[in-house]
Order: sequence, then structure tokens, then C-alpha cells
Amino acid sequence: MQKIFELLKKPGIQLALLVVILVMVSGAVGLFYFQTQVPPAQPIQFPHNIHIGLQIQCLYCHPGAWRQASAGLPTQQKCWACHGQLKKYWQPEVPVAQWPVELQKLRGFVESNKPIEWVPVYQVPDFVHFNHRPHIAAGVNCENCHGDMSKKTVATVEETVNMGWCLKCHMERTQDDPEKRIKLIDCGTCHY
Amino acid sequence: MANPKIPEFKADWKEGEEGRWGMAIDMDLCTGCQACVAACSMENNVPFVGEEMSGYGRQMAWLRVERLWEGEYPEVKMTPFQPVMCQQCGSAPCEPVCPVFATVHSQVEQLNLQVYNRCVGTRYCANNCPYVVRVFNWADYDRPEPLPNQFNPDVTVRRRGVMEKCTFCIQRIHKAEDQAKSEGREVVDGEVAPACAQACPADAIVFGRMDDPESRVSKLSKDGRAVHLLEELGTNPRVAYLKGGSNGNLG
Repeated sequence: MQKIFELLKKPGIQLALLVVILVMVSGAVGLFYFQTQVPPAQPIQFPHNIHIGLQIQCLYCHPGAWRQASAGLPTQQKCWACHGQLKKYWQPEVPVAQWPVELQKLRGFVESNKPIEWVPVYQVPDFVHFNHRPHIAAGVNCENCHGDMSKKTVATVEETVNMGWCLKCHMERTQDDPEKRIKLIDCGTCHY
Repeated sequence: MANPKIPEFKADWKEGEEGRWGMAIDMDLCTGCQACVAACSMENNVPFVGEEMSGYGRQMAWLRVERLWEGEYPEVKMTPFQPVMCQQCGSAPCEPVCPVFATVHSQVEQLNLQVYNRCVGTRYCANNCPYVVRVFNWADYDRPEPLPNQFNPDVTVRRRGVMEKCTFCIQRIHKAEDQAKSEGREVVDGEVAPACAQACPADAIVFGRMDDPESRVSKLSKDGRAVHLLEELGTNPRVAYLKGGSNGNLG
């Protein structure tokens, strides 16, 4: 023990230790900031949990999921179709300034008639062609990939979205159907 | 000529297999208008390489309309216009040579795939293609505004250093199959048309199911006028060329 303290008093060792610590800290910070699956900033901090608590279906706002490739993100008209009717917010004695902050933002989008530029969270690269429809048709539920949204406000990435993750599920679900498996692990099914 | 044995460690191909998708091109109807070439480039996000790169022979059209001279100069006869694209060979020479398995045979669609994200650009496949239909991205070609607005979102925009070729518009095949599946039926004849067949004003390009004996394309490919390009190589091409007219060489 004494020897180690003696060593630590040498400036050369101290410098070396400092460098090592710096490298480790910057590595950790870098890992945190530059990892690929950080959820992006959204124009409105949309509270998914409240909406799901009101028993609104996923497909009400993302209707593309059951008939096309892209699930779609709601326009401000869709939000306003409900929120515009909520009497609580129409009462003149409640001024806009007293609304919840995120709803004020929505009101701003509606009044300026500008689209809400939602940022897609689950993204695949350009060379991958994902289609929601067959997944919903095969009985995969939203939460299998997107996590339990009733516990989240803005969408976050719940799974490591890479080809191994896709194939793992494709293989598991086609264990006793070799014909389907050939289709589901064919390169041309997603890459073209 | 007897079919030479092609090394079969990759292409899962059996003798006499017709394949799933096929094309028939009537060269007596083709007027060489190049509408198919333009439509193909638009559909598949094929870049324009410009004059300088063209000078190096680096044109990127997936489909070319070929025309050759026959005979010595004064007595020249023209061969008919012949649109040549990837023949989607059943036993493709490009497949066994790829070191990274970027060009593979789809067992489902029976097509010759090019997996862009796997391709490392050795260009071995292009050198082994007897039809010379593979093109290589020699650079990231400039697409000035507003050209990027007409990108087809269903097709990858390829990067520099990637080989590409005709896919039989596999994105349209997938779309039609998806539609048919959601309606609980099979794809009907005439439901899928690649961009070239759709654009052809003379209806010279016919596309459809080869495994359906009643489809238009399989009837045309069994026609007496049908020939396949470089049939003697044993590549088992899926594109049939129909020819029998005089090609304007009267007398």
C-alpha cells in the first residue's frame, strides 16, 4: 500500500493517471452523445401516456400502419379535431396563456396553419424498405417493437433496430413454416 | 451447343425451370423511341452521369436500346431495336463471382438481386455478365435542385462504389403482392408492370408471371418467334425477344 502512495507522488505517474481518466470520461461522454439511437427532439412533447389513458387507439393517429408501409404522423387538424372541441379550452374565461404549455404550442400550429414537423423516431436506413401492413396483418402488436407507450410521453427507441433484431423475430415466428421462412429471410424482401 | 455446366454453389436453379417473373419484348413492335429508358431512369433513381463520365463509358442506364449493323458498308442491314436490360438469368454468371454475396438469387421471386448495402464495388459481377447490363456508380453524381424532388421513395438512392442493375422493378412487384395479399388473392396477370413496360407506347414490352401458363408473357415466350439472348451460354434468361419481321430491310 505504502508503495502505491509513493508511486502516486511522482508527477509522471500523476500525469499518466490524469490522461487515462480523461480518456475514460470522454469515451463515456462520447458514447452517451454519439450513440445512434438517441430519441430526437420533438416540436411538441406529446404525452402518449395521457392519450392512451383515455383509451385512444394507436391506429386513430397512426392509421397508415394497418394498410400501408408508413404508419403516418398526425397533422395539426387531427389533433385539433378533438382538442378544438374540448369545451374546457374554448371557455373564454380561460385565456390561452393559462392552457398547458404543450397545448399552447398546438394552438400556435393551428393558428399559423403550419404543419407540425414531428420527427420520426423509429427510422431505418434508405436501403431498407419496411412495411407496417404485413406486420400488423401477421398479428404483431404495436408494443412488440415500440414498447409500452402508456408509460411514455414522447416516443423513444425501445429496441436496437438493426437487421439482426428483424431477423431474430422473423426466424422465431417461422420455425415450423419453411416456405414462409424463405420469404421472410430473403434479401429482396427488404433490400431493393 | 450443349449447355456447359455452371458452378452451382449459389444459384439454386434447376434445369427447365421457368422462373416466377418474366418479360417478353416484341422487337417487331419496338420503334426505338427510348421511352422505356427514360421511364426506367425516373422510376429507379438512376443518376445522370453527364458528358465527361459518358465519355469514359460510365453511362448508368439500366436499360439500353441496342441496334447493330449487319453486313459490309454499302449493303448494311439494320438489326431491329432491341431493348436490353438485366435478363434475370436463372443461372446467373454474376452470382457465383461476388465475394461478399451482394448479388444473390432470390428464392421467392426467382430474381437476381443486388443488395446495395452489401456491395463493396469489386465490379467482378459486371465483368462476368455476358449481357453487359450492370452499371457501376463511379461517383456520387450531382443532382441539382429540384431533381431530388422526383426521387422514388420505394427505391434506394445508391451511393458511390455500388454496382446496380435492372431489378424488374421489384418495388412494384412487392407493392402488387402486398396489395394482393391484403385482399387474400394471388397477383393477377397484368397487375404488375415495370416502368419500361408501362411507358412503352407500342406495348412491345410485356411483363407477368412465367409460372402461370395462361399469362400473356408465358404465351408470348412460347411463341415461335421468341428467342433468348446468348441462349447457348446456358444462363437461362427470363427475357424473351420476339422477332420475325423484316425490320424495314425490305427486299
